[in-house]
Amino acid sequence: MIWEGDPAVQAMLRAAGALLFCAAAWHKLRNPRAFREALGGYRLLPASWLRPAALVLPCAELGAVLALVTPALAAAGAAAGAALLLVYAGAIGVNLARGRRSIDCGCGGPGGRRPIGPGLLWRNAGLVAALLLAAQPPSPRPWTWLDGVTLVAGVTTLALLYAAFDVLLANRARSGAARDAEILEAGWATR
Amino acid sequence: MGDALIVSNVLLWIAVIALGALVLALLRQIGVLHERIGPAGALVGREGPRTGEAAPVLDVVDWNGRPLRIGAPDSDGRGTLLLFVSPTCPVCETLLPLVSSVRNAEDRRLRVWLASDGPREEHEAFVALHGLARGGYVLSTELGLAFEVARLPYAVLLDRDGVIRARGLVNSREHLESLFEAQERGVASMQEFLERDGDRRVA
Repeated sequence: MIWEGDPAVQAMLRAAGALLFCAAAWHKLRNPRAFREALGGYRLLPASWLRPAALVLPCAELGAVLALVTPALAAAGAAAGAALLLVYAGAIGVNLARGRRSIDCGCGGPGGRRPIGPGLLWRNAGLVAALLLAAQPPSPRPWTWLDGVTLVAGVTTLALLYAAFDVLLANRARSGAARDAEILEAGWATR
Repeated sequence: MGDALIVSNVLLWIAVIALGALVLALLRQIGVLHERIGPAGALVGREGPRTGEAAPVLDVVDWNGRPLRIGAPDSDGRGTLLLFVSPTCPVCETLLPLVSSVRNAEDRRLRVWLASDGPREEHEAFVALHGLARGGYVLSTELGLAFEVARLPYAVLLDRDGVIRARGLVNSREHLESLFEAQERGVASMQEFLERDGDRRVA
């Protein structure tokens, strides 16, 4: 059975998803070198693939943005966005499993070097759940002006909460116990 | 009734947005506080040869194949800064510009060696990218073992007689500078300095 979302909720989730990927792609394209280095830090792709991959990922994000804001393609866009986030979560999970906690997540935006951690996996899981909801078709219900208020206010609130969670993760990375994780424990200790 | 719900709904949205903004602002302030109270000196572990002891003397070969002896009294009367780094350590990379500026500024008083370990091919790109071959880059597992380097970037400051004057984990410019400060003040580390200061205040 397909769950039918309320049009206001669907519109809000889709707009918020578009905003999220727009910001993500913007950060990656504005500083391609930093993103390429972060990507290399994951040690998942051969070095010759880094340059194309660092271009393909933000372009895929922009593609998801365009699809999300096109009513006919919104469901596909939301699913594509969820798939992208799952790929990122997989890359983070693999490196956490390898014990490489100190690498840059590549998601910090300008000047935001940030180690990866389980917090990012939780965040991605939440975002994927929201995008899967957004991929469901909305139920037919006439759109009223109050839905407009819900859309604008809801997207603003989601953006603020996302930014707050982001700062929270950054603070945790900075404070006490996590500070040790930021220092690379490679080299002599592990050999 | 309908109007009342609409008014209350809009007011609640405004309140939710205001609270969201407030939470964000508070979290940012916490971030600033974390930065302010972070340690301002190099952290020294219990491992490794201690400050004031003679450094272990080791014969190693630098990147260009030149043999050199580390830890022995220096014939030119210069001190030695050993900075242990790794190509896979992002914090180390942020210190490299500082290393070259220290090299230039302190050339008459100090030799600076970057030390790492592992197979040479893992370091080729790193050395080429940052132009480290000229300045002195040493690949030696023994060196790291001798100073019992556990975490990176780790710095050891030796005086002209090969005695360890300061050492510690250096994560930033301030940490590295604190080593020089520690040498000038004759204390082993920032921690020791603070402890001493604390004792004086108690007395």
